[in-house]
Amino acid sequence: MKQFVLASLFAGAIALPAAADYTIIAPANPGGGWDQTARTMQSVLQEEGISPSVQVQNVPGAGGTIGLAQFASQNKGNADALIVGGYVMVGAILTNNSPVSLADVTPIARLTGEYEAIVVPAASPIQDINGLIEALKADPGAVSWAGGSAGGTDHIAVGLIAKAAGVDPTKINYIAYSGGGEALAAILGNQVTAGVSSLGEFQEQVKAGTLRLLATTAPERIEGIDAPTLKESGLDVELQNWRMVAAAPGLSDEQRAKVTADIETMVKSANWQKQLADKGWSDTYLSGDAFTEQLQKDVTSTEAILKDIGLVK
Amino acid sequence: MGAFDFLMQGLVTAADPMMLFYALIGVTLGTAVGVLPGIGPALTVALLLPVTYRLDPAGSLIMFAGIYYGGMYGGSTTSILLNTPGESASIITALEGNKMARRGRGGPALATAAIGSFIAGLIATLLLAFLAPSIVKVALVFGPREYFALMVLAFVTVSAAFGDSALRGLTSLFLGLALACIGIDQLSGQARLAFGVPELLDGVEVTTLAVAMFAIGEALAIAGQGKVGREEVLAVKGSVWMTKTDWKRSWKPWLRGTAIGFPIGAMPAGGAEIGTFLSYATEKKLTKHPEEFGQGAIEGVAGPEAANNASAAGTLVPLLTLGLPTSATAAIMLAGFQQFGLQPGPLLFATNPTLVWGLIASLLIANAMLLVLNLPLIGLWVKLLTIPRPWLYAGILLFATLGTIGANPSTFELGMLLGFGVLGYVMRLFGYPIAPIVVGLILGPMAEQQLRRALAISQGDWTVLVQSPIAAVLLGIAALALIVPLILRLRGKGAVLSQLAGDED
Amino acid sequence: MTGKFFEPQRRLDRAALVIAFGLAVVAGVMLWDSARLADLGGYSGVGPASVPRVVAAVLLLLAVWTGIAAFRGDFPARPRQDPGPVLWIVAGLALQLLLLHVAGFSIATGILFALTARAFGKRNLALTLPVGIALSFVVWVVFSQLLMLHLPAGPLELLFFQKG
Repeated sequence: MKQFVLASLFAGAIALPAAADYTIIAPANPGGGWDQTARTMQSVLQEEGISPSVQVQNVPGAGGTIGLAQFASQNKGNADALIVGGYVMVGAILTNNSPVSLADVTPIARLTGEYEAIVVPAASPIQDINGLIEALKADPGAVSWAGGSAGGTDHIAVGLIAKAAGVDPTKINYIAYSGGGEALAAILGNQVTAGVSSLGEFQEQVKAGTLRLLATTAPERIEGIDAPTLKESGLDVELQNWRMVAAAPGLSDEQRAKVTADIETMVKSANWQKQLADKGWSDTYLSGDAFTEQLQKDVTSTEAILKDIGLVK
Repeated sequence: MGAFDFLMQGLVTAADPMMLFYALIGVTLGTAVGVLPGIGPALTVALLLPVTYRLDPAGSLIMFAGIYYGGMYGGSTTSILLNTPGESASIITALEGNKMARRGRGGPALATAAIGSFIAGLIATLLLAFLAPSIVKVALVFGPREYFALMVLAFVTVSAAFGDSALRGLTSLFLGLALACIGIDQLSGQARLAFGVPELLDGVEVTTLAVAMFAIGEALAIAGQGKVGREEVLAVKGSVWMTKTDWKRSWKPWLRGTAIGFPIGAMPAGGAEIGTFLSYATEKKLTKHPEEFGQGAIEGVAGPEAANNASAAGTLVPLLTLGLPTSATAAIMLAGFQQFGLQPGPLLFATNPTLVWGLIASLLIANAMLLVLNLPLIGLWVKLLTIPRPWLYAGILLFATLGTIGANPSTFELGMLLGFGVLGYVMRLFGYPIAPIVVGLILGPMAEQQLRRALAISQGDWTVLVQSPIAAVLLGIAALALIVPLILRLRGKGAVLSQLAGDED
Repeated sequence: MTGKFFEPQRRLDRAALVIAFGLAVVAGVMLWDSARLADLGGYSGVGPASVPRVVAAVLLLLAVWTGIAAFRGDFPARPRQDPGPVLWIVAGLALQLLLLHVAGFSIATGILFALTARAFGKRNLALTLPVGIALSFVVWVVFSQLLMLHLPAGPLELLFFQKG
């Protein structure tokens, strides 16, 4: 009896009017970047009154491809279902031979993004990006790069750098670590020649003077960052580790427009901008055809570089 | 800022009313679950880990600390009252403690265990606070080759859990290593042993294996015995409190137990049960009442319980500074940290000082809260044990599956839980130790990755593995740790040790 | 994983031989799988296939060792086992697995609860089943509504709560 009283109390407390309720799939474990993006969306969508009730569901595994596959198969034509994803997914779909790709969902918009940074330990004899490139050209095996998992954004960045420098990308000595922290420890401890990760991972250490920031993969210099871009240094490399939101496959044009409008309202809100600033994410909002086009370009170039590195046949 | 300032700052973080509340919940839940027969701290933490998932890291770690100490204490309660140790480190406690309880002195036995645990926990946590930061400085020197040497050392300690048969111990370990190969290889991005099943791409979840092996395997094994009898529960008779003599006989063993337990726990190759055994042996040698040993000597409860708790705090030193789990509980804690995106390691103190010192402070608070909660409630905890077995095990399986469903509500994951549960049952049936398979799954990928990283950096030069002094020393210790017990065993002295380790599950 | 072991224990050696065979099969599968892996050892010389091969090789040795132990009867005497209760629990777990996403957490886990109680001697399902479902429902409420842990909801949960 007690539990029924308890249950009805709870039922009363959470009873909400039924309306356009979004369910956001975060294809990762709680705590990671995609999960945080989904939960930030949840709070902004609710607080701004765009959607009265938003649920976040974690479907972790295999670089987001498990969540993506489940999302695509279970939500055809469901305009209330959203999934968070990102650039890592592009690579994971290719390396895991995922049967479901981003073409099987309806990408809505790119939300945030981070650029990659190339660093060396403070004690390293290498002073600038040209020094690193010369060392790479002289003996690619002797230059060890620490970064995230194989085939991830960091690995792709190193592949692109090698290729742009005229070095065979299959010859790079890339050391994959499971998390940014672990790679960072290896760089700080002088275990490797250089490190590649998102700029945010290194920022504190660069400030503390324990790491030397050589270059970033941004298209132009980032405000407040004292380092050249790779483009300035003569390497045609530009890479952004972005996060996006996508809707279910099989939506009508109206449904798609409605979701896009909702997301745009969210992104334009002061609340969202404040959340981004608090978390140190930069707003790289891009929607509609411009985003679709950018996405297509990223897929093509990623496939090319993963083939060059030898991770995808 | 010095360590003391950090600790004070941590105490302020942990003294937030909400945080204290989480600590209280943790201690209560930890004790409530840990007190269940056959459930040790590792399983308690594994089962209750999902409870902490949705809190912020600080709150979650504090609840964690409470659960950790609560589970530890709950385990010794069943050891004393029911003679069913929840884990290897409580076995010695059962030796004298259960004898005391049978003589109606369960109250003093539980009390000396509780107070001894508190004092050991207090001292050891303070040692952790002031020693760990200096170990951190050394930790940055650790590269892949040093880590690999450490892993080798850790592998050697697993052999202590092999029980009486090297064949079955090794088989269990290598089955764990085989399971560890499943999933995407981190260094090359290639899928291994996944057979096209997407759910296998991320490998076998350690918690799934641990819950299946310990909770389900145990339930199946006990059900299979067929006897549906109820174990005799010993009520606490006589004075629940310790007499003046009890105090006088207890305080030295508490301190000695702490002194023995902490360094052994902090050593990657230590292990809690070795500390309790050494403490028991020490007390037996130093006691003025040798005739009471084997009949219920309070020193034999006070010393090992203190050693057990001190080594638990010691275990946190390598865990927090090196990211190295040296016990099953620590391994599950490591999995817990990773859930929050925290990578315990050299930089945890540097990148997350508030969190680390908050954890250390909350360990102190959880420790005190445990004493406050449990001394008056000893009688009540015993009542938990009077639950009839059908309800008890039905409840255990309910919670065991809840943990897995909560972490990943997929049919496939539950299928693995069932499969590994049956495997755990079969392994028990044939006398295979359970701990090595879990340890193999945890340590396997770590060792493999560090080795491959070290060799990639050296471009395939194997001699690099012994060129660093630290790595060479660690490998040397590993070699000694492998050889010395062999000699001891040959001389017949290893029998007790291996017996202890054999009963681990 | 290593086959069925519910056979009677009159022949100790046979069961141990089955284990030896199972270990060999595991090793074989690992070797077969590692054969199709591309050699991406890179500069380390140790590729993704190397460690599985070493583990498989040791498992093969252990299989041989187990086989020898089986012939020599080195395995310890096994406790007498009653397969009935074990199968009840396995059935409970299997049913929970199958029903979880159809019937929801409370009903599926309630069945597991009742069958486990059955295995330990509480045979009256008319009592244990409602108790199990009620208890699971309370657990579901506490964990999914208070602790925000995502647990599958079924008809029972949706009766009281609009969203899982």
